[in-house]
Amino acid sequence: MTEATYPQCRIVPARFLNPETVERLLNRILEVGGIRRLVLNGPNLPTTIPYGPARGKPNPHPMRKVIRVGDQDVELQVHVGTILLELEDRSYIDPIRQACDEIFVKFPYGFTEGKFIKTQATVSDYAKYGPDADKLFLGMTDPKSRGGPLIIQGLK
Amino acid sequence: MAYKPQFGPGTSVVAENRRKQMNPDYQLEKLREVTDEDIVLILGHRAPGAAYPTAHPPLAEQQEPACPIRKIVEPTEGAKAGDRVRYIQFADSMFNAPCQPYQRTYTECYRFRGIDPGTLSGRQIVECRERDLEGYAKDLINTEVFDPARTGIRGATVHGHSLRLAEDGMMFDMLQRCVLGDDGVVRYVKNQIGEPLDRAVEVGKPMDEAWLKVHTTMFHSLAGTGFREDQEYVEYVQRIHSLRTKYGFMPKEE
Repeated sequence: MTEATYPQCRIVPARFLNPETVERLLNRILEVGGIRRLVLNGPNLPTTIPYGPARGKPNPHPMRKVIRVGDQDVELQVHVGTILLELEDRSYIDPIRQACDEIFVKFPYGFTEGKFIKTQATVSDYAKYGPDADKLFLGMTDPKSRGGPLIIQGLK
Repeated sequence: MAYKPQFGPGTSVVAENRRKQMNPDYQLEKLREVTDEDIVLILGHRAPGAAYPTAHPPLAEQQEPACPIRKIVEPTEGAKAGDRVRYIQFADSMFNAPCQPYQRTYTECYRFRGIDPGTLSGRQIVECRERDLEGYAKDLINTEVFDPARTGIRGATVHGHSLRLAEDGMMFDMLQRCVLGDDGVVRYVKNQIGEPLDRAVEVGKPMDEAWLKVHTTMFHSLAGTGFREDQEYVEYVQRIHSLRTKYGFMPKEE
């Protein structure tokens, strides 16, 4: 039996996004609906300084904030630079593009369709999730981190 | 005929800026007034007002071996006093930062004495005696080779040079050592290795896009001047590339 493939797209703004902008964008995209999976990518913002002479000291960072998406609190761990989306079907692509047009007014953004989220388990994934890993979880979070993906409920 | 250094090739504004910064006869434009105490705070090597720790006794108090080079070279103030060797490190954004690592090294070698620069792709570190360092750091921060938003003073965790800028135009910094305030002034809230400061250190307002474009020493085809727009520079780089490649084959004259 052939497996269903879902359209994926990638949003790359010309600037790294402030938490407030991410919040507005995500809530606007949630209004559109049709999202199966969503990944926020960007450089890591650790809670403690990971190396150097000040290693282990707390690292307060204005870009690491808790934002409200739908009815869920999301703690940002990265300075968001890329947003990957997996959609139910292609009909949602245009409304999402429109949502981006509304949010990104001060700088341009790139919007591409393609395949961006991994489909096969890597060795790290295997070590973390085992042989019968749920494919929905692959590529959603760094398998080496302790945190898992977040499920935003109640939209259907 | 006396030798007159040309400093570098190129006809573009970027090439001109590079030559200007390297030329020790050119007075770098002073843009901001960061005090000595503020610089000591950002560097984080000693407490402001504390005595300079020493690595060896002052030169005047110790027996120097008979050496002709020591007679020719006048020691710097820091070396005379026996200061420790300390550093300052800069990270420069690709988006029209006023200086960049190689350029910094060239500039410092032409302008300063007793330094040991280390050049990497996205950051540049310069080491020297602590007393001299504070003087040089003041020059490097207060003049046109520094921009509060596109240049970071980062001793560790320097990542940011090749990344997109934040929405407010600041270069990415994992440790967020400097923050752009609501009044448009950039303040250092941590020292260069990421330890919080007792008080925020102001380094002035970021320069605007037009100024950066005119004063940058970095080629960038999307944000500023493209490298290929400068025919003379391309020709020069190709010549060097060709010569060193040919030399790799160790040509012999028959």
